[in-house]
Amino acid sequence: MEFDTQLLYPIDQALLAVMIFAIMFGMGASLTKDDFRAVIKKPRGILIGFLSQFGLMPFVAFGLAVVLELPPAYAIALILIGCLPGGTTSNMFAYFARGSVALSIAMTTASTMMALLMMPILLEFYASGFTQQISEAMRAEGVESDFVIPTGNIIGSLLLVLIPVAGGMFLRYKSREWAKTAEDTAGFMAIIVILYLIGTAFIRHSGLFIETPWEIYAAAICVGLLGFLFGFWMSRLFLLPPLFQRAISLETGIQNGPIAFAIILLSFTEPIQSQMLWLAILYSTFIVITSSFITLYYRRKGKFDFEIYKNTVIHNRLFGDDYVTGYPDGFLPKRIENDPSQGASASQKR
Amino acid sequence: MENRILAPNLAELYKRAANRYESLPAFATRLSAFNWEPVSFRELYEKGLNLATGLIELGVEARDHVGLFGDNRFEWILADYGVQLCGAADVPRGRNVTDDELVYIINHADIRVAFVESEALQNKVLRLRPQLPQLTEIILLSPDGETKEGVRSLRDVMEIGASLRATGDRRAEERIDGIRPDDLFTLIYTSGTTGKPKGVMLTHANMMSQMKVIPIRLDCTDRVLSILPVWHIFERAFEVYTISCGVCTYYTSIRTLADDLKNVEPTFMGSAPRLWENLHERIMDRIGEAHPMRRVLFHIAYFLGKHYKDSVFYLKGNNLKLKPQPVWQRILFSPLHLLRWLIVLPWFGFFNAAVLEPIRLGAGGSLKATVSGGGALPVEIDKFFNYIGIPVLEGYGMTETSPVLAVRTEENLVVGTVGPPVYDTDIRIVDLDSSETLFPNDQLPHNGRARRGEIWVRGPQLMKGYYREPELTDQTMQDGWLRTGDLGMITFNNCLKILGRSKATIVLSSGENLEPEPIEMRLNQSPYIEYSMLVGQDQKQVGALIVPNLEEFQKNGIETDSLAGLKDNEKANEIIRNEIRKLVSVNNGFKRFEQIYRFRLLPENFEVGNELTSLYKLKRHVILEKYADTIRDIYSSEPVTVE
Repeated sequence: MEFDTQLLYPIDQALLAVMIFAIMFGMGASLTKDDFRAVIKKPRGILIGFLSQFGLMPFVAFGLAVVLELPPAYAIALILIGCLPGGTTSNMFAYFARGSVALSIAMTTASTMMALLMMPILLEFYASGFTQQISEAMRAEGVESDFVIPTGNIIGSLLLVLIPVAGGMFLRYKSREWAKTAEDTAGFMAIIVILYLIGTAFIRHSGLFIETPWEIYAAAICVGLLGFLFGFWMSRLFLLPPLFQRAISLETGIQNGPIAFAIILLSFTEPIQSQMLWLAILYSTFIVITSSFITLYYRRKGKFDFEIYKNTVIHNRLFGDDYVTGYPDGFLPKRIENDPSQGASASQKR
Repeated sequence: MENRILAPNLAELYKRAANRYESLPAFATRLSAFNWEPVSFRELYEKGLNLATGLIELGVEARDHVGLFGDNRFEWILADYGVQLCGAADVPRGRNVTDDELVYIINHADIRVAFVESEALQNKVLRLRPQLPQLTEIILLSPDGETKEGVRSLRDVMEIGASLRATGDRRAEERIDGIRPDDLFTLIYTSGTTGKPKGVMLTHANMMSQMKVIPIRLDCTDRVLSILPVWHIFERAFEVYTISCGVCTYYTSIRTLADDLKNVEPTFMGSAPRLWENLHERIMDRIGEAHPMRRVLFHIAYFLGKHYKDSVFYLKGNNLKLKPQPVWQRILFSPLHLLRWLIVLPWFGFFNAAVLEPIRLGAGGSLKATVSGGGALPVEIDKFFNYIGIPVLEGYGMTETSPVLAVRTEENLVVGTVGPPVYDTDIRIVDLDSSETLFPNDQLPHNGRARRGEIWVRGPQLMKGYYREPELTDQTMQDGWLRTGDLGMITFNNCLKILGRSKATIVLSSGENLEPEPIEMRLNQSPYIEYSMLVGQDQKQVGALIVPNLEEFQKNGIETDSLAGLKDNEKANEIIRNEIRKLVSVNNGFKRFEQIYRFRLLPENFEVGNELTSLYKLKRHVILEKYADTIRDIYSSEPVTVE
């Protein structure tokens, strides 16, 4: 599939730029110094999160690209999405999925900082095969140059999007109230812009939705879904408590979409830019839907253990840290009774 | 997981709760914001047994009435345990009991042993003691209070019991086995409308039937915040229910409520309309103070919430149905509502998460539901909380029905109604004039739905009667049916909608009962007043509708030829205001809450057949309906304060 017209008009690009700025600003506005402190203090969850975000996700993206035999431009876009740090939306979803919000925030913070180092390395590692394909195709058309991943540009665009994050953090430092407003407004704007982009794409390039082969759809949907799945099982494998499992799962699958847009717009050129953007748009759309469903599922599934956890936390808050809640025999399922994080018996106190 | 404990009587319930829930916290007392003292089910039961044995030793017989004067605190529930476990019944009343009430209740209920909460109450009882010949024992609940001569401390009585039990005394257990379902567990005196309080006799079977029918699921992981006075049957029933479900009750107070909501994060609360009005006011104040962008976000969120929830209500069949709805209408409208639901869903999803959730966190954030009772919840407040996602379940009941008759459930959340009648409870709507049954009545279209009339009820929760008032009991209860004195109708979703009072009594939002007739008679003595009718059900203050005497005003030089012209005449209003002030004053023996600060002159006279019966008595429900707008106007304007 080729794009004969431009996917995004200059006005859309400007809109997108404003949205990226707003969202990253909003993300900064939700972060505090304590979040960074928490990252350093309790590294276990973060480490596992790190493994799943920068170990699993890029591999999942790469695997999908190979299995689905994606055209190289889409493959690179998919890998790029796989290498992204987590976004703030995952914090909101983690909250409603009864996951650990603190862990989700810590993971977002950590991965955003690490992205500067990890993204270029991972992209180089996973995408190099696909860049060769592009180079060959270009040579076949008579263009005498090699296509390379523009590593310098990518780091540059990453740094660029981190500026509004810093701005948001400064606002948060100055006024909590305004920061909260900025955060919500940014989220609101993001929905509007995403819907606008899809809407205009629908109107201007209505054929695009039909022309897009199923593999592309499958890739855009599955990369998130597999992220949820592997993130969940990996944290389960490491015997993390259910609260952490849900947070890590969502954090792994939900990537920071706006950064993808920024990198694609600033670092890549046609002919592959439009194709990459299209995949990023599809991913951003489907991830909202899939994570909504996953969140609802986790919310229902985690209801009981979350209520127990909550009760334990509040009993400890009000009755003292060494208070142990003794539930009647048979009330707690074995799974929870043996879970140290629930603090349901004296020997298991944290 | 359905795990509520059922038992034949309260004492047995307390015992079973201790056996099942053992070390789980049953009640928690606030020492400071983050320091609460829990008491486990086992501990409470053991202490209760000691207290019961102590009471037996002090001479409390099975089926005796034990006074229990005080408000919410752990010792109150402990005293209740003690009373129940020795087979007696308690006679509760709050801290603000007046001298007259105290004397009347203690003598009328033959109370020989009484608990008093505080030193102040202790002093009051001691002062009144000459008028209380039967009272032999006074026990002070407050552990930090100092006992005067002739008063025992709670600790002492428990120690008496503890040492007896240590030597093998098992009289308490014998008493528990001797309790019959028909025995009283409590005798609650309600503020009298005719002067003296009435003692409502509630049996163990009454209360135990409530345990079966309360349609709210709670388990050991829930937390209940208690704010309403426990001596009210509404809160009392919920506290017994929490014991049955193994839930911990946390005692809070108005002063600390905002903090406690945040720290305890209750999952359930019994509440009164006033609480929701306050909370609503607080939320709106906070939003008003926030900067414009936040306000805009809130209004968008609320707008979306309204449209989202309205469609959900419609699709679930939970919209208020006062008229029969043809099938074609449903078929036509359902897709439209589905469409609206789909369009609103993604937006609502976001705003619900970003804007409404923080507001809900202000109310603790974990509330699964709350039941509002003890008065009518204003419909705007009701809608507000349901739209922002705090399901307020309005219930309906009275002391005489221990108390729940009907309550909304999550499946049957019809805003504007009090839900369907609870299991095993029959409701009849009876015509006020002809006493004909309007619902259920298969002679009438739709079985009599949407017909208004007085609500009659029948069920296992109905009181045994008024203590030593057989005539009053017979007036209220006939052939197993209790006349509630409320007007209502059954909607087309089979929910009960309350429409007001059929009796003249006005219940102010402060809970004060006010009998309008004597005050109206007093007002009508004025030459300027032809008729008057008091209003103010569920309002903070009483108000009056006045039909002025036209001739009298004309005689005094006010030029108008009709009542309509008099209505807004400043001079006429001034005259009436002075008349009211003169006639109904504290100096004339009227109570503070009976003072009338708000009134309106009516533009038409009352007519026989319309507003008046053939005996010139007011048809209150007709007048209320006709002048509904006027009454709303009375309460929407600023109160006229009288210095």
